[in-house]
Amino acid sequence: MINSAAIRVGNGTPVFNVKIDVNNLKISIKDVCSRMSNGTQSLDAHFYEIINEIFAHLSEKCRIRAGYVICPADFNLTSNRKSKVGNIHFNMGKIVTSQLKNAVQMAVFACTIGPDMENWSRHSMEQDNPAESYLIDRTASVLTEKAVDYLHEYIGGEMAKQNLLITNRYSPGYCDWPVSDQHLLFSLFPHNFCGIRLNASALMHPIKSVSGVIGIGPDVEFKEYMCNRCRIKECTYRRKHVKNTNTIIRGIAL
Amino acid sequence: MSELIKQIAYCIERGKVNKMSPFPNDMKEQPGTDELTKQAIEEGIGPDVILEACNDGMQKVGDKFGRNEVFVPELLMAAKAMNAVMEHLKPFFAAGNLKVKGKFVLGTVAGDLHDIGKNLVSMVVEGNGWQVIDLGVDVKTEKFISAVKENPGCAVGLSALLTTTMANMEKTVSAIREECPSVKIIVGGAPVTMNSAKRMGADGYSPDPQGAVTFLNQSVSIG
Repeated sequence: MINSAAIRVGNGTPVFNVKIDVNNLKISIKDVCSRMSNGTQSLDAHFYEIINEIFAHLSEKCRIRAGYVICPADFNLTSNRKSKVGNIHFNMGKIVTSQLKNAVQMAVFACTIGPDMENWSRHSMEQDNPAESYLIDRTASVLTEKAVDYLHEYIGGEMAKQNLLITNRYSPGYCDWPVSDQHLLFSLFPHNFCGIRLNASALMHPIKSVSGVIGIGPDVEFKEYMCNRCRIKECTYRRKHVKNTNTIIRGIAL
Repeated sequence: MSELIKQIAYCIERGKVNKMSPFPNDMKEQPGTDELTKQAIEEGIGPDVILEACNDGMQKVGDKFGRNEVFVPELLMAAKAMNAVMEHLKPFFAAGNLKVKGKFVLGTVAGDLHDIGKNLVSMVVEGNGWQVIDLGVDVKTEKFISAVKENPGCAVGLSALLTTTMANMEKTVSAIREECPSVKIIVGGAPVTMNSAKRMGADGYSPDPQGAVTFLNQSVSIG
């Protein structure tokens, strides 16, 4: 079951910590293998055995931490396309700003599955088990996305109780929103929120973490992602959202 | 090509490491590259011929990968099978009977912590007879430049998984160009395309590890 507990930090901003049980995320072999098949053949039995072994350890290896803060939002500062969330001015860019412009509040969220899966994957690679290492990493990525989906849905449910609607979620680094704004976003959280820290390049540790914003208000709506308007033509998500393509997104860094 | 060499190439293509390995399912209990390479050396087959089997096997699995007939796990198993061959060939490299084709400085660019694809490239390139200097992940431009200066004649491979770190990749390519104009640079990673590679001034792009080997073999003078 999911539940949350609100605490208030020094400046009075309510902080909600949401408990998410990995067993509720219902990860399947199909989820992990979605990018490893051309639809006409299945993976070798050996890989299914590895994935089942990984699944058997998820309760022990995934320490999901998720939470959000609710901040007032002001998008009437359109002259330079900057937006204000809490007391922070963001440079979210045209696409994100246009999607969030009717929001009166913002759920600023973070979610991580913790460091154990990435450490396990690294250890496996060091032990000369590269396929197992890859499958652990892949499972961790899928779990992270599922955990954030769950958090998103939870926030939507909480807002619905107040007759408020929510938008899609947006993260620094996507849809033309500079990743450097990640530091500003984290300034809205209490110190060490969810155990996530940022490095100088604005990357999160643990790696399997997601942060971002969700617009809240009576007049916001959930929309299709607008990849055709983004100037980043090579974005992985653009490829994912393009319909009628047979391209397999390999999801590996070469 | 002798039957034994063909078998080694086939085991690499299928990712069969040794007799104990349960992968692939249809080759259980059969010898893998480990046993077959040992046998080939004992029979006096030249290490250069065995190395050719590596190239042949990796080329075939790389082609399958390009046609979406196999995926990352199979490619990783193939690389592992090839590395089992390389373990047996190490003494020949050490004795000078086999020479490395050249040096390849490799790393994931600053701001990016992903390493699975980079490691895959490293394994495949090394298995094709190149010495890989793996700088790791989140590698700053200065570190790439230092490594290039310390390894004259090397080629450079830059990896990125995040769309946002492609900007860092471009900066790194420019900086290496400025400091070391003659060095050959290849880029890759999920968000990278041939067009973006050209735009950032790289000499090559590959969507898969075998393409990196082809680039190195064709573009870098082997000495």
